[in-house]
Amino acid sequence: MSLLLLAPALLLVGVVFLWPLLRYAWLSGHAASVLTGLVPLANGGANWQRLLSDGRFWQDTLQTLRFAGVSLSLELLLGLALALLLHQPLRQRGAVRAAVLLPWALPTTVMALGWRWLLNDPYGPLNRLIQGLGGSPYGFLSTPATTWLFTVLADVWKSTPFVALLLLAGLQTIPPELEEALLLEGAGPLQRLWRLTLPLLAPYLLLAALFRLAQALGVFDLIQVLTGGGPASSTESLGLYAYLNGMRFLDFGYSATVMLGMFLLVLLLTSGLLLLRRGWQGTLR
Amino acid sequence: MRRPPHPLLLLGALLWSLLPLLWQLLTSLRTPEALVAPTPAAWLSGWTLANYRQVLLGQPPFWRYLLNSALVGGASTGLTLALAIPAAYGLQQQGLRLQRLITLLLLAAAKFPYVLLFLALLELARALGWGNQLLALAVPYAGLSLPLAVLLLRAALADLPPDLEDAARLEGLNLGQRLRRVLLPLLAPAIASTAILVFLFSWNEYPIALTWISRAELLTLPTAMARIAGSSVYAVPYGAYAAATVLGSLPLLALVLLFQRQIVSGLTQGSVRG
Repeated sequence: MSLLLLAPALLLVGVVFLWPLLRYAWLSGHAASVLTGLVPLANGGANWQRLLSDGRFWQDTLQTLRFAGVSLSLELLLGLALALLLHQPLRQRGAVRAAVLLPWALPTTVMALGWRWLLNDPYGPLNRLIQGLGGSPYGFLSTPATTWLFTVLADVWKSTPFVALLLLAGLQTIPPELEEALLLEGAGPLQRLWRLTLPLLAPYLLLAALFRLAQALGVFDLIQVLTGGGPASSTESLGLYAYLNGMRFLDFGYSATVMLGMFLLVLLLTSGLLLLRRGWQGTLR
Repeated sequence: MRRPPHPLLLLGALLWSLLPLLWQLLTSLRTPEALVAPTPAAWLSGWTLANYRQVLLGQPPFWRYLLNSALVGGASTGLTLALAIPAAYGLQQQGLRLQRLITLLLLAAAKFPYVLLFLALLELARALGWGNQLLALAVPYAGLSLPLAVLLLRAALADLPPDLEDAARLEGLNLGQRLRRVLLPLLAPAIASTAILVFLFSWNEYPIALTWISRAELLTLPTAMARIAGSSVYAVPYGAYAAATVLGSLPLLALVLLFQRQIVSGLTQGSVRG
């Protein structure tokens, strides 16, 4: 009886999450592109061989890792700072929390379009500021070596609130008596952070890291609207590459293979993070 | 012992969050000439509402996208709750081992980068004839939201006193009555948190809407914004872009102001308790 209540939800979750992975596994063994009229024809391991020797795939993998690693680190740092700030007594707590939360709640594409204007060369406010200070306008979105940094900026702006609120929930579980005890010992603010707050916050930091890592590795909306993967494919993520293979080059077989490659990457890195935690908990005991 | 934060730090945090948005507001009210003037134009001239007129009178008008997003959001939220509430209850009744397994799987699904799923879901939509059917989006959206929704509701169920169900059963209430009269009222806060999170997710979802919907009058807000970004319908477009950004942000500003408590509790409970 109680299984019957559970079944419809599990069925839908299965169709949405599990079916695609099975379908990709099957498709990745087939040629299904405009050349075959999108009719799947078995082609052995040709898609996988192509993946292994596809320079663009590996370049996008590195780019995605770079984006995810730097975004994640900055979001954890800034999120911690913001959480500590919000944990202090505030008069307009509700309003401040709403203001901080807003970037997270907006659709990614809306603010990606917004950032295109903020970073516009030469009319955007940042370039106006640079010019006002006597510099010459900078191609924030047209310089292959540095544009990825500004995709990180937009991601950090949007996702830090999530990390901050999660860590704030963690901070609120720390009994104030513990902090008072350390204070009596004469521990300074940095010592209190290092000896008390961070160890007790560790599970929350790990949760935030896991969640943000998986999402950052899957980055798509932001890149597509902010840079379209450019300039010169320098900001192209794996998600965007898989999308282009499917929707622009109409090669479903290879697109499915790229998706599976990406899935393996996410699986590898998130389980790596979990193993790291296990080892670290082991040393504590 | 805890002191209020330094006002400058607080101001910095607020500016970091709000300044990019305020700049969009400012941009949306400037004439194209003022935006591209070689030196920043005088502050008193160059103000206009023309950008809003252009966006609101566009073809299709901008409110259409907001309406589409609201419809999809509403349908997804309803469908998710209709499936998640019984599922959370059913999960709670299972043996401990099965409970743990399902919870773990749901947790993994809730963290999954779902952009990976769009190609197979697009194939399904084509097979079912669901392309360009606005409300059909509610089905994948519900599927994607269910893991978080079930986890949130189950955590709330686990917090209820264990004797409650037995007492209601002894009173002779059947399952439907117990759900409606006893559990639902007690779960109301968790349901509200779940509903607002599902609504926000559906409102903001991009890759699936992008691949399922191609007709302009059926686009949801995120896809419409991306299409505006990719087209050059507007001569010097940034004023109009900014107006669209502002209009697209206003409903969410309202939601966040109204429901920030529910959003925060849902976000943290969903990640921590699952």
